[in-house]
Amino acid sequence: MKLVIDESRCKGCNLCVLVCPYGIFAEGTELNSRGIVSPVLDRPERCTNCRLQALYGRMLCGVCRMICPDQAIAWVEERPFEPHRVEVEF
Amino acid sequence: MSASEWFREDRLPHIYCTGCGNGTVINCTLAAVEEMGWKRDETVFVSGIGCSSRAPGYILTDSLHTTHGRALAFATGVKMARPEFNVVVFTGDGDLAAIGGNHFIHACRRNVDMTVVCMNNQIYGMTGGQGSPTTPPGAISTTTPYGASEPAFDLAELAVAAGANYVARWTSYHVKELTKAVTTGMQTPGLAFVEVRTQCPTNYGRHNKLRTVPAMIEHIRSHAMLVEKYNRLTAEGKPIPEGTFTVGELVRRSRPAMGVRR
Ligand SMILES: Cc1ncc(C[n+]2csc(CCOP(=O)(O)OP(=O)(O)O)c2C)c(N)n1
Ligand code: SF4
Ligand code: SF4
Ligand code: SF4
Ligand SMILES: [Mg+2]
Repeated sequence: MKLVIDESRCKGCNLCVLVCPYGIFAEGTELNSRGIVSPVLDRPERCTNCRLQALYGRMLCGVCRMICPDQAIAWVEERPFEPHRVEVEF
Repeated sequence: MSASEWFREDRLPHIYCTGCGNGTVINCTLAAVEEMGWKRDETVFVSGIGCSSRAPGYILTDSLHTTHGRALAFATGVKMARPEFNVVVFTGDGDLAAIGGNHFIHACRRNVDMTVVCMNNQIYGMTGGQGSPTTPPGAISTTTPYGASEPAFDLAELAVAAGANYVARWTSYHVKELTKAVTTGMQTPGLAFVEVRTQCPTNYGRHNKLRTVPAMIEHIRSHAMLVEKYNRLTAEGKPIPEGTFTVGELVRRSRPAMGVRR
């Protein structure tokens, strides 16, 4: 699964930046076409949901999605399979 | 089905300001509805007037967007006519405790079987930031330019005193706890009241030195204290920091209720 921010909904409040325990969201710097500075994603594949949601068949953690007041955060299927390196932090 | 399937996707993005807590409260309430496994055609959302009260307009069920302060009166009517329906009320601090204050205490007294979620942003958000009955002393609003001088209502304690079967308070930061509280409220027969302290960055934060959304939510989070800890500190006679409010489950009981499905 792949974490995405829907830029047609995000209003750039940065609440996701505040809550993610992995620091996956970082405050953005560039205005998008709607005049909003959306957060940028830093190695989103570290998110438990990206890695294990399909295996467990349910939402894990998910606090960014719950707190996002604009329903802008979602996980989408990766198709075709997009390989990436996973770093496990201890 | 997931919580997002309850949204009227065609109406999104909603009109709420950047970082408004109302969107988070809708997420948590819909997650609770999802947890309950309710059907869309047996669930009714009712609201009054205010930013908070616009919430049912973004949800894919039948709903009533009623007159200011009267959400609970309409919701009581729905529940009495169709007890098999699941009734959820979205309301604001102004809607519930100012113009609708009388409906609030009597709905609690009658213990009508429904779930009331109050987005308490301590201000009249929609009309430009006038002080509400929950505006804390000292806070600047357009009607209290020198700082509010009246004591504020504690909505959750009011609901406990008036007789609601389930009362809890959380904040828009505590998304998991809030979802759990709303779910428990939905499971409890009788009136379940969940007060949510939310941020209104536009009309509260801007006037009260909480300019950014994270600053506002951090202010709310840091003043929340678990009710168990609060009770322990008070019993020990220890000082409670100023501006602290309790969070957690304040009451769960089984007084006689009205409109419970048989
Ligand atoms: C009978 C009546 N009186 C006054 C108003 C104006 N009015 C609209 S919303 C509102 C206050 C809403 O405050 P609250 O319930 O806290 O909602 P918020 O916008 O803060 O979510 C008022 C006074 C109205 N619409 N109808
Ligand atoms: S689900 Fe949790 S870990 Fe994953 S991005 Fe969101 S907050 Fe971070
Ligand atoms: S919480 Fe949602 S609306 Fe706010 S910045 Fe993050 S993605 Fe955008
Ligand atoms: S005025 Fe306040 S309550 Fe209304 S949408 Fe804006 S932030 Fe939310
Ligand atoms: Mg309000």
